[in-house]
Amino acid sequence: MKRRSAIKNLSLAVAGMVSLPAWVSAWTPESIGQVNSLPIPDENLLAEITETIIPETQTPGAKSLKVHQFVLRMIQDCFGEEAQTLLEQGLLKTDQLANIAYNKPFVSCDTAQRMELLTHLQTSDDPAGKQFVDMVKNLTMRGYLNSEYVLVNINHYNIAPGFYHGCVPI
Amino acid sequence: MAFFNIDSIKDRTFDAIVVGSGISGGWSAKELTGRGLRTLVLERGRDVQHIKDYPTTFKNPWEFPHLGQIPKELRDANPIASRCYAFNEDAAHFFIKDNEHPYVQEKPFDWIRGYQVGGKSLMWARGTQRWSQYDFDGPARDGFAVEWPINYADIAPWYSYVEKFAGISGNKDGLPQLPDGEFLPPHEQSCVEKHFTQQMAKHYNNTRPVIIGRCAHLTQPQPIHTQQGRGQCQNRTLCQRGCPYGGYFSSNSSTLPWAQKTGKMTLRPDSVVHSIIFDEKKNKATGVRVIDAHTKEMTEYYAKIIFVNASTLNTNLILLNSTSNRFPNGLGNDNGLLGKYIAFHNFRTTISAEYEGFLDTITEGNRPNSSYIPRFRNVFKQETDFLRGYAAGFGSSRMLDTDRSGFGESLKANLTQKKYGNWHVSSHMMGETIPKETNYVTLDSDLKDAWGIPQLKVSVAYDDNDEKMIADFHQQMTEMLTVAGFTNIKTNDRPDKAPGLDIHEMGGVRMGKDPKTSLLNKWNQLHACQNVFVTDGACMTSNSTQNPSLTFMAITARAANHAVDKLKKKNL
Repeated sequence: MKRRSAIKNLSLAVAGMVSLPAWVSAWTPESIGQVNSLPIPDENLLAEITETIIPETQTPGAKSLKVHQFVLRMIQDCFGEEAQTLLEQGLLKTDQLANIAYNKPFVSCDTAQRMELLTHLQTSDDPAGKQFVDMVKNLTMRGYLNSEYVLVNINHYNIAPGFYHGCVPI
Repeated sequence: MAFFNIDSIKDRTFDAIVVGSGISGGWSAKELTGRGLRTLVLERGRDVQHIKDYPTTFKNPWEFPHLGQIPKELRDANPIASRCYAFNEDAAHFFIKDNEHPYVQEKPFDWIRGYQVGGKSLMWARGTQRWSQYDFDGPARDGFAVEWPINYADIAPWYSYVEKFAGISGNKDGLPQLPDGEFLPPHEQSCVEKHFTQQMAKHYNNTRPVIIGRCAHLTQPQPIHTQQGRGQCQNRTLCQRGCPYGGYFSSNSSTLPWAQKTGKMTLRPDSVVHSIIFDEKKNKATGVRVIDAHTKEMTEYYAKIIFVNASTLNTNLILLNSTSNRFPNGLGNDNGLLGKYIAFHNFRTTISAEYEGFLDTITEGNRPNSSYIPRFRNVFKQETDFLRGYAAGFGSSRMLDTDRSGFGESLKANLTQKKYGNWHVSSHMMGETIPKETNYVTLDSDLKDAWGIPQLKVSVAYDDNDEKMIADFHQQMTEMLTVAGFTNIKTNDRPDKAPGLDIHEMGGVRMGKDPKTSLLNKWNQLHACQNVFVTDGACMTSNSTQNPSLTFMAITARAANHAVDKLKKKNL
């Protein structure tokens, strides 16, 4: 399948990066490379799933913060082949379920239907479905909470706060 | 880089050679150059210049593609380094790659190394507690290992000397088992840590003090620090990346630039020391053999005195590899004890708990330090069925109580709502292990590294004493947390955690009174080759419960000044 080979290619690219001597002295996030390994429809599907988990409100949601890129990158670079398969099959399963339940792909479903589908996958008898949703949800929350938007605008992150107070009122 | 002429012996001759540029090597360099000696400092790794070579130091969390996590390929390729808590996306470039520097684990030992100018002084955890007379008395009193040839009084002025220069924050606590030093203002304890301190004083009649740790951070820089170009600690707690402010002590920000300013230091990175050259006619060492890390070419450098500060196990390796007709088993190794009596700190277990009070308070900002429980077991007399004791770190934080259920708008709102749960505290044990002859390093007879140097074979393990100590830590800490009102107390021993991850390995070239039972005299000179000094962790006769780096610094400064005194009197 295309998806599988795309993931494989990415792994090779990353392995190549790791062995570059530049990593030692001139490490930059750019040198690790960008992630865009899934075929566009699958990447869009993942983006819609993350957006369902953390939607756009008055503030940006997962999709506009590109949290799905983070989810992909973590699964491909850090989680190993088992997780990659889980992602692949989970995406397939999500669309299959949408087609069975609503006779249309996940991306065409409305918000209520999408939440229904994710909840169903998470609570169904199929352990792989639950694992897939849990993995994507956990990574989505992690990516969102550590995005520049949330850290700067909501948590007021400052790299050099220059203080420590051991006991202040909440 | 042809800044020296390899054809000229004169150009390869210095007053002193220092092997290694980490915490102790940096101090050797500073003291020897400061006393006017032309000093060659050899570092096996690459150059790392202060600020310029800290590539991640200003990066924000979201600028790391994996938010700090190490990609799987890199983790799988480096299983040893990966077990170190600081081997993350922001600092992995300061750790060696496992496959480039192989060693033999006769027993599991996670040898954590940073081969670069500054060594591990860039990534250390910066705890700087003095040792006390009880630590120096330990071996003689308990009968393990051999007696130390020095007392606390010998080292105390040198503690003061290095503390003032390095910048150590702490509180004067007046404890006999943890002497006070020359302190900058201490960090603050949180209300829960203060509560624990007070409860311990009350329930144990002041016999179990809990204090704020002493650490190498400039909480209030003094003129001596600004002269080094260092500034106030910014509480970023990103220390393992290298600090652009010089807020914590490292060779890179402090001792090496200071030595450089004298004009007497020649720093040579990428220089792997093969062995020390012993001249039988002169009956002393005359220099070192260095292999260029890249070209693999060997060059000899000469000096009147040699300081070996390669880090504990590499110092052992170099001496074991320095063979001659006079010393067929390694330099100074007449008694066959070189490489033996290696010890470490037992960091295998932790304990955690919760506190249901102070719910209307929280901490703000970051603190590059924690509270500290000095050793309270067997301090003044032997009172348990195990030898020695343990210290412990003690930290606290307020946990976020986040509702992570569901999907969509409600989840999104819940995630950023600051709802706090109970206070969470945790403590890690730092146990003293007993130096034993059966804990040793030696050279593998067949395997060599990429530079043709024999691989080090490490055979170091826990023993029954360590197991008893772990059980006692669990029992005593559970009792202490219980009487202080903590709940949900959980112990977490990790029997699979090999020695080494503590990064406090010591010994193998121990100091002592008698050349029959030790390698070094009270001035850190090899008994049998007095112009060679060993002042890193390898020299330690026993290893206390306190963090060792401050003691390495003090012992180094003391020995270096002694060496210069002797040299000036033409006694070396």
